[in-house]
Amino acid sequence: MKLVRLTGLLMALLLVNATSAIAQDVVIRNATVLTVTGGTLENTDVLITGGIISEIGKGLRTPRGTEEVDATGKFVMPGIIDAHSHIALSSVNEGSSPVTAEVSMEDVVNPYQIGIYRASAGGVTTSHLMHGSANVIGGQNETVKHRWGSSDPNDLRFEGAPRTIKFALGENPTRVHGRRGTGGTGAIVPATRMGVEQVLRNAFEHGKRYMEAWDAYDAELASNPRAVPPVWNERMEVMADIIRGEVLVHCHSYRADEIVMLTRVLKDYGVDKITFQHANEAFKVAPELAAYGAHASVFSDWWSYKFEVYYSTAYNAAILIRNGVITSINSDSGELNRHLYHEAAKTQRYGNLEDDEALATITINPAIQLGIQDRVGSIEIGKDGDIAIFEGHPLSVYAVPEMTFVDGVKVFDRAADPDDVRLEVDPEGAIGQYEGQITSRDHFHDQNEVIDFLEAFGDLEDVITETTHN
Amino acid sequence: MTLLLNLVLAVLMLLPQQQDQKARQGTYAITNARIETVANGTIENGTVVIEGDRIIAVGANVAIPAGAEVIDGTGLQLYPGMIDSGTNLGLNEVGSVDETNDTNEIGDITPHMSALTAVNPNSVAIPVTRVSGVTTVVSESAGGLLPGTAAVINLYGYTAEQMTAGSEMLILNFPQEPSGAAQGWGPQRSAQERKKGYEDAIAKLDEVFDRAELYDRIMTAYAASPAGKAEPVYAPEMDAIRPVLSGDRTLMLKVNAEGDILKAIDWVKERELPNVVFSGVSEGWRVADKLAEAGIACMVGPVLATPTRSSDRYDKAYANAGLLSQAGVKVAIRSGETENVRNLPFNAGFAAAYGMGQEEALKAVTLNAAEVLGISDDYGSIEVGKKANMFISTGDPFEPSTQILALFIDGFNVPMESRHIDLYREFLNRDEGRLQPMEVLPADN
Amino acid sequence: MPKQLFAAGWRRYVLPFLLLSFLPTSLVFAQKDSQDIPSVSEATAIRGARIVQAPGRVIESGTIVIRNGVIESVGRRVDIPYDARIIDGDSLTVYAGFIDALTNVGVPESDDDNPTGSVPDRSNPTFERAGIAPQKDVRMHLDASDKSVASHRQRGFTAALAAPRGRMLPGQTSLVLLTGDKASDMVLPGTRPVLFEFEGAQGVYPGTPMGMMAQFRQLYREADRRMGVQAMYDANPSGLSRPPYDEVHAAFFSVIEGDTPIISFTSDALELRRALSLSDELGFNLMAAGLNQGFDVMDELMSRGIPTIVTLDIPDRPDWAAKADQDSLDQVLASYNDDTRTATFRDIEAEKRNLEAKQLVARTEFLTMPARFAEAGIPFAFTTYGLSVNVMRRNMMEYIANGLSEDDALSALTVDAAAILGLSNVMGSLDAGKMANLVVTDGNYFDKDSKVTIVFVDGNQHLTGDCSGSGCSDKFSWGN
Repeated sequence: MKLVRLTGLLMALLLVNATSAIAQDVVIRNATVLTVTGGTLENTDVLITGGIISEIGKGLRTPRGTEEVDATGKFVMPGIIDAHSHIALSSVNEGSSPVTAEVSMEDVVNPYQIGIYRASAGGVTTSHLMHGSANVIGGQNETVKHRWGSSDPNDLRFEGAPRTIKFALGENPTRVHGRRGTGGTGAIVPATRMGVEQVLRNAFEHGKRYMEAWDAYDAELASNPRAVPPVWNERMEVMADIIRGEVLVHCHSYRADEIVMLTRVLKDYGVDKITFQHANEAFKVAPELAAYGAHASVFSDWWSYKFEVYYSTAYNAAILIRNGVITSINSDSGELNRHLYHEAAKTQRYGNLEDDEALATITINPAIQLGIQDRVGSIEIGKDGDIAIFEGHPLSVYAVPEMTFVDGVKVFDRAADPDDVRLEVDPEGAIGQYEGQITSRDHFHDQNEVIDFLEAFGDLEDVITETTHN
Repeated sequence: MTLLLNLVLAVLMLLPQQQDQKARQGTYAITNARIETVANGTIENGTVVIEGDRIIAVGANVAIPAGAEVIDGTGLQLYPGMIDSGTNLGLNEVGSVDETNDTNEIGDITPHMSALTAVNPNSVAIPVTRVSGVTTVVSESAGGLLPGTAAVINLYGYTAEQMTAGSEMLILNFPQEPSGAAQGWGPQRSAQERKKGYEDAIAKLDEVFDRAELYDRIMTAYAASPAGKAEPVYAPEMDAIRPVLSGDRTLMLKVNAEGDILKAIDWVKERELPNVVFSGVSEGWRVADKLAEAGIACMVGPVLATPTRSSDRYDKAYANAGLLSQAGVKVAIRSGETENVRNLPFNAGFAAAYGMGQEEALKAVTLNAAEVLGISDDYGSIEVGKKANMFISTGDPFEPSTQILALFIDGFNVPMESRHIDLYREFLNRDEGRLQPMEVLPADN
Repeated sequence: MPKQLFAAGWRRYVLPFLLLSFLPTSLVFAQKDSQDIPSVSEATAIRGARIVQAPGRVIESGTIVIRNGVIESVGRRVDIPYDARIIDGDSLTVYAGFIDALTNVGVPESDDDNPTGSVPDRSNPTFERAGIAPQKDVRMHLDASDKSVASHRQRGFTAALAAPRGRMLPGQTSLVLLTGDKASDMVLPGTRPVLFEFEGAQGVYPGTPMGMMAQFRQLYREADRRMGVQAMYDANPSGLSRPPYDEVHAAFFSVIEGDTPIISFTSDALELRRALSLSDELGFNLMAAGLNQGFDVMDELMSRGIPTIVTLDIPDRPDWAAKADQDSLDQVLASYNDDTRTATFRDIEAEKRNLEAKQLVARTEFLTMPARFAEAGIPFAFTTYGLSVNVMRRNMMEYIANGLSEDDALSALTVDAAAILGLSNVMGSLDAGKMANLVVTDGNYFDKDSKVTIVFVDGNQHLTGDCSGSGCSDKFSWGN
């Protein structure tokens, strides 16, 4: 009897989980639609059926049961894509080795984290959850949709998104591995940008040989049943997949010289898909990046928090775009990701980008960089029903996100949502406690990462706190 | 947008500093601009006349003095320079390079540390900041219970004397009661240890102020008649606290959590401190009535921040300043930034959008801030007699698409130059001077 | 995020108390004393007792006879053998001996459990330094005189799956009986799952959950390859290089062949999901133990039908509710409103009340989990792994107060635990022919005031003291 009563009371929480599965057809009426790729459409409806944008036009007729959203006077844009995020992760840096290609953020997605909802409340529908920057070759990243409400990490996965991997150059890997050893053991290469290049070349060369060894084995097996397979190596499996072009490289980088260095290494191994993350000095080699077909994913204005970003400029994105480099603006922060529309707007302060160019930096451009541009990044028929509705133009500082849809499912509704949306509540700790804030000046991914890192490397506090800088 | 760009370029051509990169004082008349005086409403098509460091005329029908450099503000807007009431600007240069950071002195009780001493007038971040229209900031030292005095500085000048806006504030980091939540990112201390640490800190705070009062009594008596008295002990820390006891200097009490704010209100009342403002105040909205009742002004921010509790509504940090203001608290907005103090207007814009309204938000970064900092005789609005801190913009300075076109600080027409702009100019078309085609990459080895 | 901190911190908090629970017992001395007196009988009969043969199978007044470690007979009317020592069971209840399905019982702590210290290359530490020891056999580390054995027994545990101590892969577990003079007396044949936990290596690779996932895959897949190469070599070594061998990879061979399961101990839903996905991906047999927050993973557990072992760890009452009575807490719980707004300072009080209610809802999810498992038809056993065994009964009573039936609790302690550990033919119920593992109480075990008075393990009788508090101990023990 008691169980029945308690179960009834629990329904309140369980209901939250249940909503994630409902994909209702929805029509957004009479909005100013910022398609990004197809111009701005006034007084236009957008119909989402089965989670997909099925019609765009005026006065659309809709199937019975379609949910109506009156967006008169409001702005509708594609769901925002954050190409560099560390929210919703149980751990971020496997910082114990300069090359950890084998680890994957896919294994540590945390769907309970409130940061997912908070980002959705800023119109973000897709995030690229990245490994940290401690290692020259870090782990594989995971592209997720903000399907808030499910406790199953698999529900968040962006099905079909290409695999991507994190690389990191410059101060972070050289400090973590080269400059100070752990447990008094002395240094591990790299301690310099020269060492970073050789760590990369070493990993690629071993990956190539590993790939060739398995190819040779597979060939030999056809004629020789006693062929002996090479030693299995999870790390080299991933390096081989990078060389095969199956894994897109996203490289944490700052200085112009190291950016060009990586293009040289990649060219030698035939890898042509590369997005430079942060890339504060990418503007200095914008012509080289354009020539290589490399992309950049940058901050709107962060600089000076470390030496390698001292000689940078908030005009970075504008210079890159004017030089033909596909460029996105990312957050790398559990705070900035709540107002990426505002970060994109700063490209108008710093470089006078057109509205669609500015909006592209948080929609279609990051979609291209993540290889998901056929699914998201613009409002087009056939694309996913990932939509953000704003009161006010999203590039205005006074813009207020009002609703966010992922696959046609409403994940944020400013008017209807309660204050406390936590999916997971500490059952025994103190309640109503001040927890501190992440602010827009915090160059930490989030508290989770640091705590996780400390658990693994408790004796390395100073290294860790600095390492986890973008 | 292209139209705007053309307008900007046209205006840039007109402005005098484009011919000459030196900041200059002189007689300037900005004509036909929309003037946001803040103190006395908006003047459409008005004129402001600057002479030396002061504003000498403001209005719709103002005579332009002979010899004045005229800046045609047609289609443009004129605002008082924005004031950020909480930054580390000038004290930190490169975040992760310790040698370039001067915020934290050794010790818990270092009220005699003066931020003005360590502000680097040539910090690269200063021009980067001022070209956004932020002309004045509070620069704070940090760490410990009493980290020192914060400086109120104008963002142009070659020495501390040239930069000071004439006010300093004593910073007090009010002790934080430990909560169940993780505090900071280091190894966690036990609940008992943290509770003990907190109680010790409160006791220490009271002890410091008890001794400061005693010291004040001694010094007052000694100053009245030194003859025949032993020379008082040398206690520079206490010398720095004395003006706060008398109210001659403002105590900037940094506090955030609900419980701590309540405790701080009581503490200030018990101590009968006459001149106190709170800074940070991220949970101020929870006790806005108490703050209003106590009549304590608040320097709120950063606005661009996550909520203080995971159970809070996602936009609570955006809304905090407005909720305080609506409850009757005098609010100034602070960015809490160092190299990105240029985001102050955006902090204000978010506060405006989430309940504060544009007018109050503008006040919070101009006149209110000047009043809270005790510099409103000279700064915070466009009024005759005040110092000429102002900027010309293409529109609302909170909007990212707005361009700031010209800038005056203490009457200096400061060139719109910064590293960020310089690098833009150098690299936008990097290779336009090159004759040979660019070599993209070396050949394969 | 708070959950994970809570779960991890919780175990750290609990561990020191394990030491406190090892209060002096007189077991060893008692056995010595008893050896001075000659045994006169090989049989014992408990007469006129309430006999719970299995959940739902109760003899209100019956007799059970044991001889040489085996239940000879049990029933309402049983002829008591002439040579049996007789215990008057009036007012006593007899249950099948309880089984702890994962525990460090009998395994003393050692400095090797948490390897630390410097290494030449932290990216490539030795297996030992990284806490990877699937070859480590708990039977080599058992100590029959370890105080945990008596301490466990005093709560009614007679058998257990004992695990070695360590980090990511502490080693191979073993079924043990909680009796005997030496380690070999304790060991039972049967399943010996390899323990896996998300306890990263300290300061070396792999330190994080994702590192451990990758390392697990690496070990498993390379072991798989080696197995194949070894088989080829064994069939005909001619022309082949000698296959590499090390005991870590070799320990995976029987896992890959399906003979040895992996038993994961997880402390939150995400860890559990990670263990499930490794099992799905690599194809090994998984036993899932711990399952804090398992209520969020119920569907996945059910669809796989894997052995399920639920922790007896429960959240403490929050401070604000520590002294409240149940009725007032129920009222708070019932007041929960999932659509509240805290718009201004005026709403602060209402917010506080609702946060309390939400916390109780969350806490109730933990406390009702076993009840919901039972309702969903998921059989499960209990584990005290990482806990002080002192809290076992108190926490189980909380589960019962939150909807778990006494029969389902008893099943988890006996018949279902036996089934999960492959011991159904010898344990889990009081039936003739099964091992003489009995728990005797002075009333219904699930009544707050009842006490465990006698425990028989493999026929060895252990009298127990008052086990309601931490001061309980074996008083002394008879041989037959």
